[in-house]
Amino acid sequence: MTKPKIAIYDFTDCEGCEVKLVSLRERLLLIEKKVDIINWRLGQEHFESGPYDITIIEGTPVTEYEIKLLKELRENSKILIALGACAALGGIPGIMPEKDRKVWYEKIYTAQYHPKGIDASPLSAHVSVDFSIHGCPVDEDEVVKAVEELLSGKAPTYCGYSVCFECKVAGNPCRIVESKPCMGPITQGGCKAVCISGGSPCYGCFGIRDQANIPALIKIFEKFADENEIKRYLTMFHNRTPQITEQVKKIDEYKK
Amino acid sequence: MISNEFIAKIEGHGSLKIDWKNNKVKLNIHEGERLFEGILVGRTAEESHWITPRICGVCPIAHNLASLSAIEDAYGIEINETSKLLRKLMMAGQIIQSHVLHLFFLVLPDYIGIDRGTELAQKDPKSFAKVLLLKELGDDIARIVAGRNVHPTRTTVGGFHKIPTKDELRILLEKLKETKDAVEWTAKFFSKLEYPELNVELELVAHKDGQIVSSNFGATVSIKDYKENIEEELRDYSTAKFGKYQGREMMVGSLARLAIGFKETPSVDGETLGVDKFIDKLNFQNPFHNNLAQAIEILQFYKQARKIIEKLLQMEMDAKIPTSETPSVEERSGKTLGVEYKGIGAVEAPRGGLYHEIHLDSSGIITYANIITPTVQNLTSMEKSSQALLDQTTDKDQKEREKLLNMLIRAYDPCITCSVH
Repeated sequence: MTKPKIAIYDFTDCEGCEVKLVSLRERLLLIEKKVDIINWRLGQEHFESGPYDITIIEGTPVTEYEIKLLKELRENSKILIALGACAALGGIPGIMPEKDRKVWYEKIYTAQYHPKGIDASPLSAHVSVDFSIHGCPVDEDEVVKAVEELLSGKAPTYCGYSVCFECKVAGNPCRIVESKPCMGPITQGGCKAVCISGGSPCYGCFGIRDQANIPALIKIFEKFADENEIKRYLTMFHNRTPQITEQVKKIDEYKK
Repeated sequence: MISNEFIAKIEGHGSLKIDWKNNKVKLNIHEGERLFEGILVGRTAEESHWITPRICGVCPIAHNLASLSAIEDAYGIEINETSKLLRKLMMAGQIIQSHVLHLFFLVLPDYIGIDRGTELAQKDPKSFAKVLLLKELGDDIARIVAGRNVHPTRTTVGGFHKIPTKDELRILLEKLKETKDAVEWTAKFFSKLEYPELNVELELVAHKDGQIVSSNFGATVSIKDYKENIEEELRDYSTAKFGKYQGREMMVGSLARLAIGFKETPSVDGETLGVDKFIDKLNFQNPFHNNLAQAIEILQFYKQARKIIEKLLQMEMDAKIPTSETPSVEERSGKTLGVEYKGIGAVEAPRGGLYHEIHLDSSGIITYANIITPTVQNLTSMEKSSQALLDQTTDKDQKEREKLLNMLIRAYDPCITCSVH
């Protein structure tokens, strides 16, 4: 049996999810035995132009070049996987609204600067994505799980429970009970509630779970947080998630 | 479009534009702009150290700590001794993580005739086992102190949400002891590599005692005056700015820190450091030696990590976050204080001096942010050294010179994602 041909790409982002791939250590070696990585700029010089059986993309396509390349990669790949919050959701770069970019280019670079970036959207804004390995950064076990499912010929699957389930397993006190906003109830599990366990908030980087009741959670937030705080929580990773931006719009309209 | 036009095995997207006829080279930076200084505006003090690590997944702890110290500087918060030690330990873990990744996965393949770093597993399984041990060590320090190996979860303004238990620290100390051979082997190994020859007049710049110090012509200045002394220039072929120190091309990072004598690491268990013999081998006019400097730093920060843990184990750890100096929530939410807060946080990140400046309004909302990353400061020197390499290798063929240029860029360990941010 020939090994599946893999390409790994990083668009505009922090490359932390690729760092996580290296952190797989021994498990990375095991994966490498079962696949043929024929294109990975960060890891190797060896390069083949495809077609690819699986293309894994980290980061947001921000420049015109990246958007074009993404479309070409889609055409040349059987399976296209988004790796991490930037690729899957737009993530932190997605906080910057397209309409505000011009002002910030001027402030950060000067008015003479010729920008390369257009907008920071998830991959799915431009092409169809077969599966997203979520997280900012991704979790090692989730990467291995998705890769094993793919290699066994099975469609990879998402966790069927929310972060709350894992948060209870971790023995954390509930943030919402303590009157702190938390995206855990509407967020897919898989992260092992690592942020909440460390004392940080959950901003939902693992993606919105199926049948999440977002308006109900916002209603709960309203009991102890003002609208600006609620909006900041909702948009930390999800400023490009339609289900969320719809709700943010409603908050803005209600204010008027 | 699907091509290999960018330099492989560096963080981010850059390429060298070489004019072979006229023997000229330019370093083009293609990374998309994320506009972090704009993303931060409108966010809160507690969100800045959450957002800025996402500038770079290779040195997130450095950004996390730079933002925290900027906010603490703005609010006049003095963190306690436990927090100071734990943050130093985090940083030691960060430097080990970053240098190990760079040296073994990005640099070493050039020197031993492999392509992907993991090919060492077949070529020399014993050595690769050591590499994995070192990778695990860096990740474990970050995980146990900062909460996760990439992007911290435990830090907060004023200290830590959660500090490690003494049991966790004891486990970490054991791990450090097990890794001793691998760390020493690394310094020895990289001191025996044959680095390409190159002679460049380098302006090496690093922090020492709250000041920015240059090895060459540059005057010593306070870190608070970073903005006036590190000028950022626009280049029409780059989405990153190019940094200069008092008007001259500058190099920051491991080689610069060792030139300035950044860390005179104290001895551990009565052992002497044993780094002098390696430092003697450094040529501070050859940027390729930055890689040996990184290997020496792994040893230094390894020893520092052990020392810090031993100290923490002996003392009573204090998990409290100082509140007396901190404006209360009511104050921060804007009713009583009308002043604007301004703070500067600087750290020596794996790749060199990193500066975060943050201003907040009376309700704790960020109104201004300025970030200067190490790679911005290195870009000018990378270009200058590339030109020097072209000038000093005219006897070699084009293919070899191209290979050497790529190796030179890698030697700087550029983080282009940081440089554009």
